[in-house]
Amino acid sequence: MSEWEPKIITFLCNWCSYGAADLAGVSRFQYPPDFRIIRVPCSGRVSPKLILGAFRHGADGVWVSG
Amino acid sequence: MKNLLEHTGLEPGRLHFSWISSAEATKFVKVAKEVSAAVRALGPAKYLVKRRAEVV
Amino acid sequence: MIELTEKIRDIAKKLLKDGTVDVFIGYKKGSVPMMNEPVLIRNPDEADLLYWDSNCGLNLCNYLTGRTDRIGILATGCNSRSIVTHIIENQIRRDQLYIVGIPCTGMIDHRAVNRAVGHREITDITESDITFTVTGKGFQETFNKADYLQGNCKVCRHRNPVEYDEMIGEPVEEQKGIEPYSDVKNIEKMSCDDKNAFFRRLIDKCIRCYACRNACPLCYCPTCFVDESRPQWVGKSIDPTDTMTFHLLRAFHCAGRCTDCGACERVCPMGISMRQFTRKLNRDAEELFSWQAGLSLTERPPLDTYRSDDYNDFIK
Repeated sequence: MSEWEPKIITFLCNWCSYGAADLAGVSRFQYPPDFRIIRVPCSGRVSPKLILGAFRHGADGVWVSG
Repeated sequence: MKNLLEHTGLEPGRLHFSWISSAEATKFVKVAKEVSAAVRALGPAKYLVKRRAEVV
Repeated sequence: MIELTEKIRDIAKKLLKDGTVDVFIGYKKGSVPMMNEPVLIRNPDEADLLYWDSNCGLNLCNYLTGRTDRIGILATGCNSRSIVTHIIENQIRRDQLYIVGIPCTGMIDHRAVNRAVGHREITDITESDITFTVTGKGFQETFNKADYLQGNCKVCRHRNPVEYDEMIGEPVEEQKGIEPYSDVKNIEKMSCDDKNAFFRRLIDKCIRCYACRNACPLCYCPTCFVDESRPQWVGKSIDPTDTMTFHLLRAFHCAGRCTDCGACERVCPMGISMRQFTRKLNRDAEELFSWQAGLSLTERPPLDTYRSDDYNDFIK
């Protein structure tokens, strides 16, 4: 890989943003491919531990969306 | 959460929170672009990445 | 100081004799000067062990968690706030407690005193109202107590207990005109890299002994996240990343609960100022949610409730 691509760990709520992401896909909207999406039952479950865990394992960014 | 991490030296553009309903695909795309641009602008993460033990 | 000690002993004896409490928690003189230890007194005859001076920096609230008997406890300003936090977190019931409030004029920073005498061994310490005298082999020096207070006592705004059944002595005057978060503000002014470097240097010496966690009245989880192995949240090494993760998560767990009692710093064998982590969160709690931990038995803490006007500027 010649160019650096960021890895952004993305926690998406099953009911909100995951649906939005799905809809974005169905609607064929273009968006950057840097996200590693983790679907969670509720974004309230995302604790500081998970966010720090992502950074510890080398994530370049973390995005939590509910 | 974000405040303390930034207080201890995490770059402000690394951690994002947002609130998007399942009907807001356009907002999702918009925020996705913002997040991606912010992280790309910062380059690879240095903060808090656990290095593998160096083998001599 | 000695008259307060006498009063504490009398009250403890009375409470134990008439059966108001099963156990009385206070301090006794430590085996090393300037290091008073917590002590649990069950028998009125033992009450003479109790002691009080400006070296009682540990938080007695630690010994309350999950107890089922009736407890008498000595409480300074910060201790009483920790007790209130315990009560609103359902770790103890108010009716189990007989809180003996004591006004506090701050605790002596034993590290600063040791530095001041050039780390010669101190064998004894005596205290009068505003000064204290340390003695060791071949030296004796008197210091002004106000100059050698613990960092958290210097910026303390709640010297008198907020909740008590009985008060020993007259309430002391609260410190006025102090700027409680000047150090936090200084760090906030730094650049991102400087902040990172500052905190890396700060925890550089950490040996991961978890003394800060053990001394903290808020850390009562049966299994701490650092001891969990499935999943393992944080490595056990002294790798800077692991240390930083530990300190960050420890601080987050104290968000909106920390009363800045300074027990963590006092017990650290390496002299790390880990209050820098919790104080930032205290400041945020105060500025964003107008909340200081442990002041009220009826209000719920900010991370426990939802209000439609909660701070949410960080959400896109």
